[in-house]
Amino acid sequence: MPISFTLNGKAQSVDVSPDMPLLWVLRDTLNMTGTKFGCGMALCGACTVHINGEATRSCITPVSSVAGKKITTIEGLSADGSHPVQQAWMEEDVPQCGYCQSGQIMSAVALLSKKPNPTDTDIDDAMSGNICRCGTYQRIRKAIHRAASMQAGKAKSAA
Amino acid sequence: MGQGVRTALPMIVAEELSCDWRRVQVLQADLDPKYGEQLTGGSGSVRDSYSNLRRAGAAAREMLLSAAAQWNVPRSECRAEYSLVTHAPTQRKLAFEQLFAAASALQPPADPPLKNPSDFVLIGKSTRRTDCPAKIAGAAQFGLDTRLPGMLVASVERSPVYGGTPRRFNADEVKSAPHVRAVIEVKPVHLTHQFGETSGPGSRNYSCSGVAVVADSTWATMQARKLLKVEWNEPPSASETTAGLREKMLRLASEPGTVIRNDGDFDKAQAASANKIEAVYEVPFLAHATMEPVNCTAHVRGDSCELWAPTQIPGAAAESVASALGIPRERVKVHVTFIGGGFGRRLIQDYAVEAALISRDTGTPVQVVWSREDDIRHDFYRPAACHVLQAGLDTQGQLVSWRHRGSSPSIETFYNGTGISPQAAAQVDSLDFPALFIPNFRLEFAVAESGMPLGYWRSVDASGNQFVLSSFFDEAAHTAGRDPVEFLLATFGPARKIPVRSGETLDVGRRREVIELAAEKAGWHKTLSAGRGRGIAAAFGWGSYVAQVAEVTCDAKKGALRVDRIVCAVDCGTAVNPLSVKAQMEGAINFGLAQALKSAITVSRGRVEQSNFHDYEVLRMSDAPPVIEVHIVPSAESPGGCGEPGVPAAAPALGNAIFAASGKRIRRLPIRAADLRPA
Repeated sequence: MPISFTLNGKAQSVDVSPDMPLLWVLRDTLNMTGTKFGCGMALCGACTVHINGEATRSCITPVSSVAGKKITTIEGLSADGSHPVQQAWMEEDVPQCGYCQSGQIMSAVALLSKKPNPTDTDIDDAMSGNICRCGTYQRIRKAIHRAASMQAGKAKSAA
Repeated sequence: MGQGVRTALPMIVAEELSCDWRRVQVLQADLDPKYGEQLTGGSGSVRDSYSNLRRAGAAAREMLLSAAAQWNVPRSECRAEYSLVTHAPTQRKLAFEQLFAAASALQPPADPPLKNPSDFVLIGKSTRRTDCPAKIAGAAQFGLDTRLPGMLVASVERSPVYGGTPRRFNADEVKSAPHVRAVIEVKPVHLTHQFGETSGPGSRNYSCSGVAVVADSTWATMQARKLLKVEWNEPPSASETTAGLREKMLRLASEPGTVIRNDGDFDKAQAASANKIEAVYEVPFLAHATMEPVNCTAHVRGDSCELWAPTQIPGAAAESVASALGIPRERVKVHVTFIGGGFGRRLIQDYAVEAALISRDTGTPVQVVWSREDDIRHDFYRPAACHVLQAGLDTQGQLVSWRHRGSSPSIETFYNGTGISPQAAAQVDSLDFPALFIPNFRLEFAVAESGMPLGYWRSVDASGNQFVLSSFFDEAAHTAGRDPVEFLLATFGPARKIPVRSGETLDVGRRREVIELAAEKAGWHKTLSAGRGRGIAAAFGWGSYVAQVAEVTCDAKKGALRVDRIVCAVDCGTAVNPLSVKAQMEGAINFGLAQALKSAITVSRGRVEQSNFHDYEVLRMSDAPPVIEVHIVPSAESPGGCGEPGVPAAAPALGNAIFAASGKRIRRLPIRAADLRPA
C-alpha cells in the first residue's frame, strides 16, 4: 500500500516495503541524494532530515512511521542556498569534503529553531551526533553563531 | 576530497592567466592521459602542480595577448587582466572569449614569462571554496550519489579474515529473496598499481574475496545480505590477536633491529651519560573511516568499462580494473566524482575492482555500497607499533645519546613484497628529529609480521612516530629540568641549512621559526592555573613546517580531560589560499586529536573487532577544542603540502600538555581515562 507524506512542501507517495528506512526511500526511490548514508545506525548524523520540524536520523526511520508527516530535506531548505544557515556556512567556508554537511546543516537548523541564540554548550549538545571526519567543528560552531545573528537581524528588521 | 584543491589549483591558473576570479568556473576532468594519473595524495596536489599550472596559465595568457595582435598594435602595449586584454594607449578592450578562437590556433609558448610574485592578486589571497554552494545545498555529486538507468546495487560479504576465501555459501536461498538479482562470488584481485609501488613477490595487496548480493536497491541488497551464510577458508592469520602482536612488537623493539641510522657511539655515550631515561610507546591500528562509505559504480560492456569512482587515483582505478578484467587500460573510462573524505583510504582501488567484476557478471551498471561495518572491518589500516626509546643527558642537561627501536607491521612489505630490503621495509625515517641533532644517535627497526591489510593513513608513519618522538623528547626536556620550547630550540641550534639526502637540505631556520611563532602566539610563558598545562610539538614534512601548542585542563581524580586550545604555526612556503591552509590545519589537528583521544582498531582471531562509530570512535563536536588558532608564516618559498603536515604534532602536543598539567605521561594511544589518574 502506498505511503503518503509531505516532502519539502509537496505531497509525496511511495510504494515500497514499509520497513525501508526513509533514507533509502529518499536516495534510491526518489533519487534525492542530498541526504547522505554514513553509518546506518544513527551514530553519525549524515542522514539527518526534519520530520515535523524535529531533526531525525532517516537511516533508522522506517518509512511507514512518517506517513502523514512533514519531511524537510537539505533540498527543501531553500531553492538557492539562501537559508541563513546555508549562508552562514558559506561565509565561514565550512565544508571540506562536504559529505556530512547536509546532516550538519539540518541539525543546525533544527537547533536554531528551538534555541535562536545557542551557547557553545547548546551547540555541542545538539551537534555531537553529527560526525565530521574532516574536522570542521570549529567552523560549524562559528557558522551557527553567525546564522543566529543573521536570523536575529532578520527578525529585528521584520519587526 | 576536501582539501580545497578545486579552489587552489584554479587560483594558480587564473593568477597567471589574469582571469577575473568571479567568472571562473571549475569543472572536474574525467581521467585523461594528458593529465597523468590525476592523483591526490601525499599532500601533493598544490605542491606538485604549482609550477606546471603557473606555466599553463602564463602560456594561455601569452597566446591571448598574441591573438590581440588583430589590433595591429605592438604586443608589448597589450595587457591581460580581469579576463580582458587591454590596449592601454587606445583603451581598447577585448574579452578573453572574443580571443579564444584566434588564440587557440597559436602554438603555446614553451617558456612563457611568469608573473613576479609581488604582482600576485589571487595567490596568497584568502579565497572561499568554489565547491561550497554545491556542498551546502546537498547538490555535490559524490560517488555514492551516482544514479544510472538500470543500475543495480551490490553489497559484498567479505572474508572476515583478510586473505580468506569462501568455501561454500547459500546462493540459492539468498537469490530467492525479494528484489535480489544475483549472488556472485567475488575473487580476490592483486591490485597492481598503487601509490608508486612495484608489487613484487610476496606482496599482499589484494582486493577482498567475498560474496556479492546484487539487488534492485541499496536497502534490498542490505536486507538480503543478512540471509547470506558463508563458510570461509581461513588463512593462517586467523589466529592473530592484538595482544599477540603487541607482545611480538614489544619483544622486537627490545632487541637489536635493522640499523636505519647510526651516528657516533650510542652505547658508550649512554653509559657515560649523567642522566638516563627509557620509555616504551605504543600506537594501535587505525581505520580511515571516511564519512562517505567506500563505494564505486561500474558498467562493463564487452571489453570496455565505465567507472564512477570516488578515488584519489583515477589512473590507478583504471589500471587495477583493466588488469582485473583483462582489458586494455584505454578501455576503462573513469568519471571522477566528489570524494567524501580520503585520508589515504581511496589510494587503494579494491572497491573499483569489486564493482567492475560484479558488473561484468550482471551485465548491468552496478554500484557497490560498503556499509559502515564493511568499511571499518575491511580497511587498509595504519599499522600498530611499539617503540622502545633510551636517551642520555650530560651534566649540563644536553642530550648526548638517543636510541630508538621501533617495530610494526610494514606497509612497504605489504605492497612491495618480502623481497625489499629491511631498510626499505622500515616504518621510521632516518631524518626524523632529533636525528642529526644528537651526536650519538641510533635508530633501529624490526618488521613485525601481521596478516592485517595495511595502508596510508593521513600523514602515514609520522602519525604515530611523531607522537613517540615528540613525547620522548619532552620527557628528556623535563628530565633535564629545562623548558620544552627552550630545549627544542637549543637542540636545533642556530638557523642554518644542513645538506641531507641527495639535493635536499634541512632548513633549521624555518623549523625554529614555527616553534617560536607557536610559542609566542600561545603565550607559552604565561602562567596557567593548577590543573592546566601547555605542551608543544613540531613536525616537518611534505615541504612544510608545523608547530603546535596544546592547552589542556586535567582533572586527574576524575580522569577527565578538556582540550582548551590548540595554537598552530605553519610555514608551507607560498600559501596559495591561506583560508584553505587554515582549514587544512584545523582539520588535521582534529584528525590528530581523534587518534589521540578516541580511535583504535583491535584484532581477535584475525578479525577486526570494531564495526561502526559506537566502537570505532572518532572526534565529535563535544570533543573538539573551542579554539584552534592557525598562524601562517609569510613566505615566498615554493608551496609545501598542507593535507598531512598538521596531523602528526597534535597528539604529542596534547600528551605533553597533559604532562605539564598533571604529571601523567601519555605513552600509549588512544588516551584512556585511567592514563590520566594518579598511579
